[in-house]
Amino acid sequence: MSAANAPLLQLSSVAKSFGAVRALRGVSFDLRAGEVHALLGENGAGKSTLIKVITGAHQPDGGTLAMDGGLLEKLSPAAARKLGIACIYQQPALFPDLAVAENIALRLESGGALRKVDWAARRLQAVGLLERIGADISPDAEVRSLSMPEQQLVEIACAIGSGARIVIMDEPTASLTRKEVALLFAVVRDLRSRGVGVVYISHRLEEIFELADRVTVLRDGQSVGTCPVSGMTEAGLIKLMVGREVAQLYPPAEGVAGQVVLALKQLGCAAGGVKNVSLEIRAGEIVGLAGLVGAGRTELARVLFGITPADSGEISLNGRSITVASPQDAVGQGIAYVPEDRRRHGVILEMHIAQNMSMAIHSRIFPAAWLRDGAEARLAQEFIRNLGIKAYGPQAPGGSLSGGNQQKVSLARWLATRPKVLILDEPTQGVDVGAKSEIHKIIRRLAMEGLAVLMISSDLPEVLGMSDRIAVMRGGTITALLPGKSEAHAVMAAALGQNP
Amino acid sequence: MKRYFRELSVAGALLILLLVLALFAPAFFQPQPLRSLLTREAPTLVVACGMAFVIIIRQIDISVGSQFAVCSVCAGLLAALKWPLVLVLPASVALGALMGAFNGMLVAGLRLPSIVVTLATMVTWREALRWQRQGQFVNLPDNLQWFGLSQSGGQWTLIGAALVVLTLLAWATRHLAAGRFIYAIGSDAEAARLAGLRPQSTTFAVFVFMGALVGLAAMMNVVQSPQVDPKSGSGLELKVIAAAVVGGVAVSGGRGRLWGVFAGLLLLACISPALTHFHVEAYWEKAIQGAIILLAVVADGVRSRKQIR
Amino acid sequence: MSNPSIQRGWKAALLRHETLLLLVVAVEWLYFNSVGPRFGSVDNSFDIIRHSVEIGLLAVVMTPIILTGGIDLSAGSLLGLCAILFGKLWRDAGLSPVMAGVCTLGIGAVAGGLNAVLITGLRLPPLIVTLGTYSLFRGLGEAITRGVDTFTNFPASFLFLGQERWLGVPAQVPLFLLVAGAVWVLVHRMTFGRTFRAVGFAPEGARYAGIPVERRIALAYVLAGTVAALAAIIYTARLGQAKADAGTGYELFAITAVVLGGTSIFGGIGSVHGTLLGVAAIAVLNNGLVHARQPREVAGMLTGLLLVLALSTSALPKLLALLRSHRQTVNPEPIKS
Repeated sequence: MSAANAPLLQLSSVAKSFGAVRALRGVSFDLRAGEVHALLGENGAGKSTLIKVITGAHQPDGGTLAMDGGLLEKLSPAAARKLGIACIYQQPALFPDLAVAENIALRLESGGALRKVDWAARRLQAVGLLERIGADISPDAEVRSLSMPEQQLVEIACAIGSGARIVIMDEPTASLTRKEVALLFAVVRDLRSRGVGVVYISHRLEEIFELADRVTVLRDGQSVGTCPVSGMTEAGLIKLMVGREVAQLYPPAEGVAGQVVLALKQLGCAAGGVKNVSLEIRAGEIVGLAGLVGAGRTELARVLFGITPADSGEISLNGRSITVASPQDAVGQGIAYVPEDRRRHGVILEMHIAQNMSMAIHSRIFPAAWLRDGAEARLAQEFIRNLGIKAYGPQAPGGSLSGGNQQKVSLARWLATRPKVLILDEPTQGVDVGAKSEIHKIIRRLAMEGLAVLMISSDLPEVLGMSDRIAVMRGGTITALLPGKSEAHAVMAAALGQNP
Repeated sequence: MKRYFRELSVAGALLILLLVLALFAPAFFQPQPLRSLLTREAPTLVVACGMAFVIIIRQIDISVGSQFAVCSVCAGLLAALKWPLVLVLPASVALGALMGAFNGMLVAGLRLPSIVVTLATMVTWREALRWQRQGQFVNLPDNLQWFGLSQSGGQWTLIGAALVVLTLLAWATRHLAAGRFIYAIGSDAEAARLAGLRPQSTTFAVFVFMGALVGLAAMMNVVQSPQVDPKSGSGLELKVIAAAVVGGVAVSGGRGRLWGVFAGLLLLACISPALTHFHVEAYWEKAIQGAIILLAVVADGVRSRKQIR
Repeated sequence: MSNPSIQRGWKAALLRHETLLLLVVAVEWLYFNSVGPRFGSVDNSFDIIRHSVEIGLLAVVMTPIILTGGIDLSAGSLLGLCAILFGKLWRDAGLSPVMAGVCTLGIGAVAGGLNAVLITGLRLPPLIVTLGTYSLFRGLGEAITRGVDTFTNFPASFLFLGQERWLGVPAQVPLFLLVAGAVWVLVHRMTFGRTFRAVGFAPEGARYAGIPVERRIALAYVLAGTVAALAAIIYTARLGQAKADAGTGYELFAITAVVLGGTSIFGGIGSVHGTLLGVAAIAVLNNGLVHARQPREVAGMLTGLLLVLALSTSALPKLLALLRSHRQTVNPEPIKS
């Protein structure tokens, strides 16, 4: 193939594993100059890993990358940038204390430390770039005073200013208003007309139909299809994304839902971005909480757990209204939260698993605040056995365990509190297949023992397979309540804001 | 206006203090004592500029007082050996830079917290100096005091020198790429790394520069008297940190202007004479200094909390 | 990322560190014993202990603070302020030494509480808060005494605490052992120590585990203030006088002892017995150098160097791990275009 008609970027059967987790198992993807190529898939389908492979942050285990027909080997982030690959992440990496113009300049300028700064040129450059993307942002504004979408626009200005040939946009519209989205689309179209290849990742199907030329769907780390957008329908895309059958891997629901344990009435928290949430969870019931990243699911959990306390509405537990102003309150009331970010919030990596497990029940297991190693070790042994945790003993540091086992330790810490309500946030994220099904069995067992379970998950088959009922969140509130035996596309459609 | 709010509020406080002094204690404004006050503060101003850089890049250096003493004594000894001023000055600056490099190596190279590193070097240099000098003063040759000029001439020279340093550095923080790198790294070291800056090397350089400025300031102090006190510079670190913090340099890094530091330093420097004029005992100075540091930090803390909602 | 072999080795390394330190103290002892003829005498041993009790107290309560990832620079200044206030309460307010002592302990707790409120209530960095109170406490001491007032002529019954023997040992030793023992129990045998460590390792993780992070941090600083007041009383009894410059630079010795004793300046790891060994290493060095006819300043200088050395060795594993992880993830480098 000659360089002239070779695609701008070509990925062939790229694979990447992290330990036992196979994030990418053979993805093929090509990007032409002057096209917008949408990348679609559920959370965990491998999109972010794919981005990191293209930007050189991860080295693939197998498969090849080629640009203009030339093979790219051992691509480093620096080399990727030099080749003109730019990526706009969801979290902007800007300097909050500096002005917009300077933020852009620091990314684009090169040269020694002792050169004189040309403020007029910096300002002109910023004005030009901001104008090109139609952003109404003063180049003199401090970045910390900007809203998140404005900061994202600054990032886009940086990417455009660097003259990139490939621009990857990771959910750029997640926090933009309608007007800002329209501006952004104009920018993307402008890039396309200049021969730039744009990889566009978004969950909003309408955007893809409006903007993209082609779309590739990823599922379980594989590319399941690439096709022109013009010939596709929304239903067809959703089907491609969800695709597979919900296998019989999930333990069957046998329990009968009992009394209402947790009831939320128009719960809201302005700082946490949660509004007007009403929901009931019964004893013995698993309620799946579905929705896209940024829909407010983790934020709702943080409100229930008292990390960002509610400022409106009501929480009642067993029919009694309660206040949850801090995590200590939540623990005292019997609400447990197994957080999403295991390594930062779920387990203290440096401490023993026994110490991790007893952490939320100090007052119960250690009367008079006196450590009792024996009781603690027994507690740990019990959970190690019950949950099948693979560790060399209660003295093993949390950091020495695999992801799935860390998750079980985190779960054990909260089961030890004997909660009435258990909130699980992405309980099987980054967990290998075997441990995943073990965790599913544990969750079902807990529900059958009478616990009320709220399970946040972005893994659609998991939500469908585990839940007795499914609540779908969008924009910080619950938009749909579906029965557990729903069709995948119905849940996906509700999460995407489509009318099925 | 809003952007300079922090600096303007310090300048405003300084003006009010001066106004009060002008109304109730006009004696404060007699040229002779005023000039002496400014001369005394000239070396402090130079060190405070360096400290501002250190705090902007999110570090701290409490060894500057000891560095100051070591540089002063060494400069005095060299001068006593009849070295000419043109050689003593660079030697003092180089010695300061060397001590700064030691701090920088430990902080940037080994990534140790700067507070503990400089605490250790503070006591090491100070005790080493005490051991060597046993409290003895260094007698200087006659022609060194005030650079061999008249007293007022020498004083004006020092004040001028400090202001030149301030102006140059204030210009550099605004208009030199290196100055902007310091702000960028202090604002977000990770974003700086992604933008291709080098946080560790820059931190090292800032400590070296801090030391060099201390060497210069020590020289500016040595020429003010016929002898060098080996205890000179004790408590200097607090004075300059207070000036920087009061002047609007945020301890969380990335923010602050040298003009604010200048105003902060003058404000603090005027407290002691103001106390005397109002017949408050001077022993309160240190306590007031501490209270002002806390007040400034609390004010900044409350302000930044409001901004993050 | 996290290397299990390093983490599994931590406890072993800690043990090794403390054994090593014990060895250092022993070698120091033997060396100075061979150099200074009267060094090894019982009298001199008691002298060493007597002189290290105050710093020992400050170091012992500095340990929980550093375990939470904080620092207290105001300890020495607070000792000075409390010594003055104790003298003031006894001489000018006419309180008995016991009553004055009780009030002083209360004042110490309040001063520690000031640090705690600023650090936990306003979420300010401990470093700059305690730097401010370092200046404030010392300055208040100077202001109260006008820099010259000295409190002396305490009754012999009070001076007994600092100068006489009780049960065959210096009278302050039982008190010190009581406090050190209590803090050891607090840190190693009670849930408080567990939570201090959790906060030091991962403050957010501790919050998500339902630990009252703010209250625990506050406890560490209030405890430090109270014990600093106790140290001030013992200091006054030992010297028979209270002056505004009491305890100048003690915070450095305390921090050095803690770090030397194997407590990580980044929080989480460390022990009270390690701190006690650190205090012993410094105290023996100080006293021994005097017996070896070295000037006092050499000891100060060596203490500073020792701190740099201890810090550097404690930082090495972390640095190596960092470099290793950097190599794995391949950092973006500057664009050169």
